[in-house]
Amino acid sequence: MKKNFLLFGFLLFHFCLSAQESNLLNNQATQELNQTTTAPVRSDLDKTLDEAEKKLGSSIVGERVGAAKLLGKYPNARGTYLLLSGLDDESALVRRASIVSIIEHFDSGQSMYDRAIAEKVFSKIGDPDVEVRREISGMIPRLSIGLMRSGFERTLVNGRPVFRSVPGNLREDLLNLGLSALLDEDSIVRQNVLKHHTRIRLPLPASTLAQLLSDKDLAVVLSALDYIRIHAGDHSVLAKVEVLAQHTELGIRAKVISVTRSLAHSFPLYRGVLRKMISDDSFEISAQAAVEIARFGETLPEDAVQKIEQYLIEAQGLHGKVETVFYGLSSLGDTGLRIYKKLTTHRSDKLRSQAWQRFLSLSRGWDKPEVWLPALSDRDEEVRTSVIVTLRGRLSSLDEESVRELSSSKFSDVRAFAAESLLSAESDVVASCFFDLLIDEDDLVRATTLRVLANLKTKGWEKIHQQSLRDEEYAIQRAAIDGLIMNRAVGEKILRDYLSSYPNTKISHAIRAELNR
Amino acid sequence: MLLLSLGKIAVFSDAQPTASEESFIRIMQLRREGDVRIRYPDALPSLLAFMNEHARVTFDTDPLFIDDLTDERLFENPILYINCDELPNYDFSVDENVALRQYLELGGFLYLDAGIKASFLGTDLGHSYAAWEERVEVGEWFSQIFPEKSFIPLARNHDLFRTFYKGLPKNEDLKLEENQKRLPETVLSFVEQEKWPQGTYSLVGIKVKGRLACLASPICAMGWGRDEFGSWIPPISFRIRESADDFDETLKLASFAGNTYEVTREDGLQDEIFVMPGQRPMWVREPTGRWRIFKYYSGEEISNYAHSFYARLGTNIFLYALLN
Repeated sequence: MKKNFLLFGFLLFHFCLSAQESNLLNNQATQELNQTTTAPVRSDLDKTLDEAEKKLGSSIVGERVGAAKLLGKYPNARGTYLLLSGLDDESALVRRASIVSIIEHFDSGQSMYDRAIAEKVFSKIGDPDVEVRREISGMIPRLSIGLMRSGFERTLVNGRPVFRSVPGNLREDLLNLGLSALLDEDSIVRQNVLKHHTRIRLPLPASTLAQLLSDKDLAVVLSALDYIRIHAGDHSVLAKVEVLAQHTELGIRAKVISVTRSLAHSFPLYRGVLRKMISDDSFEISAQAAVEIARFGETLPEDAVQKIEQYLIEAQGLHGKVETVFYGLSSLGDTGLRIYKKLTTHRSDKLRSQAWQRFLSLSRGWDKPEVWLPALSDRDEEVRTSVIVTLRGRLSSLDEESVRELSSSKFSDVRAFAAESLLSAESDVVASCFFDLLIDEDDLVRATTLRVLANLKTKGWEKIHQQSLRDEEYAIQRAAIDGLIMNRAVGEKILRDYLSSYPNTKISHAIRAELNR
Repeated sequence: MLLLSLGKIAVFSDAQPTASEESFIRIMQLRREGDVRIRYPDALPSLLAFMNEHARVTFDTDPLFIDDLTDERLFENPILYINCDELPNYDFSVDENVALRQYLELGGFLYLDAGIKASFLGTDLGHSYAAWEERVEVGEWFSQIFPEKSFIPLARNHDLFRTFYKGLPKNEDLKLEENQKRLPETVLSFVEQEKWPQGTYSLVGIKVKGRLACLASPICAMGWGRDEFGSWIPPISFRIRESADDFDETLKLASFAGNTYEVTREDGLQDEIFVMPGQRPMWVREPTGRWRIFKYYSGEEISNYAHSFYARLGTNIFLYALLN
């Protein structure tokens, strides 16, 4: 028995062992299979940076470039410091890749407020490679925080040590680099430095500004015009502006108007520039200049007014400079009014719409139906709406002829307005005109008429409202309910009678709710 | 009934046209109420003004906004523009879909800007990526309108790309001196060879009755805006692919803890894009096994070049729509 047990145990042990071996073999096979299809394991961040650092020191330019490019994907302090070293590389390709990656770090939220870092980067604004200089010049706003960090100094005042703050300023060598960059051979660098020079407290001498106002590149000139206020009183700057007022490029001349318009208040000589531009060959420019001069209260010559008119008539929509000139017409008094009236027949819907609004407001034309009735025949809804909005609340009593003309319009919004106009009309006009509106094909018109009748308590209004409760259109029924509730003394009974006859229609619940309020 | 004739419209109606009806060509834009940010409100008016100035067309620079495709004015104007990023949803009624189908069959043209959008871009509206298929929502929408059709990529030699402008902007187009670099070297090389060869772009379209009637593109409106002095707005950056000697090995093993996305290429194959959460795409593994890194460039020269390209492309699209 004992022998059999031992044998059994031995056999069982071997069986288990075999099973384990089998499992081991299976697992091994599985692992081998997985190893052939699993992707290589990626490095961790430290190893990747170690590898990049090593390649940055390679003698092969391609490897150094690759490392600089890759480091841009890891925005952290170590990566940034490695890239800073790349900025001194002998190869322009490496320096370019380094600066692009540094910018990537900025974009990923890596801050570079350390003054030493900012100065290191900014110092490359004198790099022999134009691509590097362009990138650096574009980075000035981001570098300015670090560059302009204020500090403290310890000084003695009356024998006592005093700590006081020292405002941030560029180091002298960097200041000189910045000043040179204002006149860099590359227009993009010039433009960038000019645009951002105030952020790093780079002085802009009048002579430099005058030079930039004569720049070959239009974008540089446009940027320079933004800064003429700094030296507005300088005659060399004024002289350049006068020349630019006759520049061949429309955009430059438009910019001259834009900057001189505000300068002319403090520096009257600039008003002379604007005055001359009234004679510009381009209607667009002369119209803008004329409007600005008119704002100063000056009277315009007739030909200038004609140019404004022509410019607006030929405009292809109310957009951009057209808008500026259009709204500037208000400063032309009666002349402006006349032009607004003419523009009410313009081809552009938007221009017509705004012209009507301006014309009616400035001429107080809402009192004269013969003036605005044609506007309500306009095929564009926006035009009609803008006129109705201007008239609403300002209309005095309309005569019957005018109401009838509105009531017979092919546009339902105009007929609805006709119904509204009955509110301020004489009672005989109401009595004469309301019926056509009450049976209008459009339910908005009918509903509006009902509401007006309830307001005016026209003879027979109760009966009309009572019948309207049984209309098919909910809008009509609702208008009837509102009218009856507004005149509760009479309306409540009518509503209760309706409920007793029709306890479960779609409006019964609404009526109950109103009555219970 | 809609009739196109030499870039002008004749509308058949009972009324005699009045002086105010001798109108410019209106471009309709669908704009609906909803929780959506209008990112480039001046883009289309700027492009229309640009075309009037350079192509001597007569567009009304104010788009005609409609909020419903059953608007009766749909059939009065030849071109409908939709910025798909500005749609709060794609819930169009049956009537709207019927109207749109009818509009396209009768000769109307629909331009779906941002109708192509790679999925990994998410809700970030400031990015575009030149994928080669319509965005999912557009595909689902159009399966209800034209169930028998699908969007097909436009070939690079399609006539649309040469309607008015040909090729990429040169220095004179950018108002740069001849000796000035218009772009960094790596960027220019990528743009000329891969991104926008010969001024082309990734466009997909649907033909109706043999005519290209509907077009979708990655967002182009970001490149149309100009201020009153003619300067381009807002700033645009570039994403380009760059290689290095050892990237096929390095990028395979470099530290990465993000997600990958597959994007359809022009040749129909898939690029695998590597993206860290909350960051711009890092690098790409191409179907050939090549690995390249994405680099981002910004600056005046980049922005001006991009704007010039998008304005030229927009001109080509709208003029093609008018003339075909």
